[in-house]
Amino acid sequence: MSLNKKLFKVLNSKILQGILIANIFAFLVIGIQSSLAPKDTGILVFSEFVIIPMLMGIITAWFWKDIEIRGKQITGYSILNGLIAILMSFFFLGEGFICLLIVSPLIFGFIISGAFIGRAMFKKRNQKLNISIGSLLLGIFIVDSLSDHYHENMVSDEILIHASTAEVWQHVVAFDPISQKENYWLFKIGMPSPMATTVSEHKLGANRKCIFSNGYIFDEKIVKFDVNKNLIFDIVDQPKDPEIMGHIDIKRGQFILKDNGNGTTTLIGNSWYNLHVFPTWYYDLWAESITRNVHFRVMEHIKLLSER
Amino acid sequence: MFSFVVNRVGFLKDIPLFAIIFDSLMRFWMFFTKPELLDWIDDLEENVTQMPGTTVGIHKYGGTEFNYMGKEFAHVHSNGLLDILLNKELKQSLMTEGKIKDHHLFKNSGWISFYLQNKQDLGYACYLLNKAYDHTKQKQNSIQLDTI
Repeated sequence: MSLNKKLFKVLNSKILQGILIANIFAFLVIGIQSSLAPKDTGILVFSEFVIIPMLMGIITAWFWKDIEIRGKQITGYSILNGLIAILMSFFFLGEGFICLLIVSPLIFGFIISGAFIGRAMFKKRNQKLNISIGSLLLGIFIVDSLSDHYHENMVSDEILIHASTAEVWQHVVAFDPISQKENYWLFKIGMPSPMATTVSEHKLGANRKCIFSNGYIFDEKIVKFDVNKNLIFDIVDQPKDPEIMGHIDIKRGQFILKDNGNGTTTLIGNSWYNLHVFPTWYYDLWAESITRNVHFRVMEHIKLLSER
Repeated sequence: MFSFVVNRVGFLKDIPLFAIIFDSLMRFWMFFTKPELLDWIDDLEENVTQMPGTTVGIHKYGGTEFNYMGKEFAHVHSNGLLDILLNKELKQSLMTEGKIKDHHLFKNSGWISFYLQNKQDLGYACYLLNKAYDHTKQKQNSIQLDTI
């Protein structure tokens, strides 16, 4: 068979057509949605991770409805479909590797579900049902895209340190580089982790810098400086990292030192953030987990320095 | 994992699509870790579609549903857990063979559970599906006769 014939056969394949059209559809919808957005908020609504992948699956099912295709093949081709979408997000939307790793269960889950829901829909050959489902998904997408999205959360952790509050305070305001090995799997695979903190002066209004493992710096300003008790800092500038850019804004951090009266201190770390990716029931799990591990990496280090 | 989700966070199944998405993720996992299982599920599906009056759909709690005249008589989750509707007498007699278990949730019902673990299980699964099909067909036919 000549190369031209082979190419024609491949392009004419319903499998490939389904995958191509599904991906083109997804990027067109995201493109149109972004261009119609009133302002560049960077918010990614839940429809983009739920409705679009599901519609991608349903589109492939429509292309595959008249060919003999088994469930295992549907699964395999749907995974390929999702991989292409993820790769395109990496190259064209500038998303980071870890960010895509986090989003991938949603993409694969909804694309595979969409393909099987589509198969069941098109088997019934009930146009009314198909149009109803399509309209419902489209309606949810439009309403979701036009709705306001705002989510703020606070994560709090505490640790017991066998040292006085005065000793702990010295290492809370600023601390030397962390030398301990990473033990959180996302840090191990490349997510930046906190390394050191510097401060311009030990007083209210001073500039603080939190330096991450990849060299990124969070610029902070001390807004409460209650010696040996309470340190609050606002994040005034954060790096434009593809893993976090536009997805999460860390707003404020706090360390509270509680004197336990027996030579020990309870150190409480609080962080406030705004999440710009939805659904929050999914992304907040990740945001909380990451924030918690940032807290513990810093607080374990403070404990080590204070108890030395 | 499946047992943990079903037993500990089973209430989430009432959230629309949750169970279907969970099943799709199991299917994704099986595609890489035990792809032959997906072949067996496909074989079961082919076996059922050859029985007159049957249709195959998506089970509301995830997986593939097998129906006779629109009435469900079995479903298989993507981890190979096959749930089949029999009657209590049939269930008792099959239980003695030791291959099936009470349904993983509805223990005191006519439902039974059978795990597809290897290719040899496929034959027994088809046998169980045939029994369930016959039972449901008989029941449906008697209901139709009663209404006439």
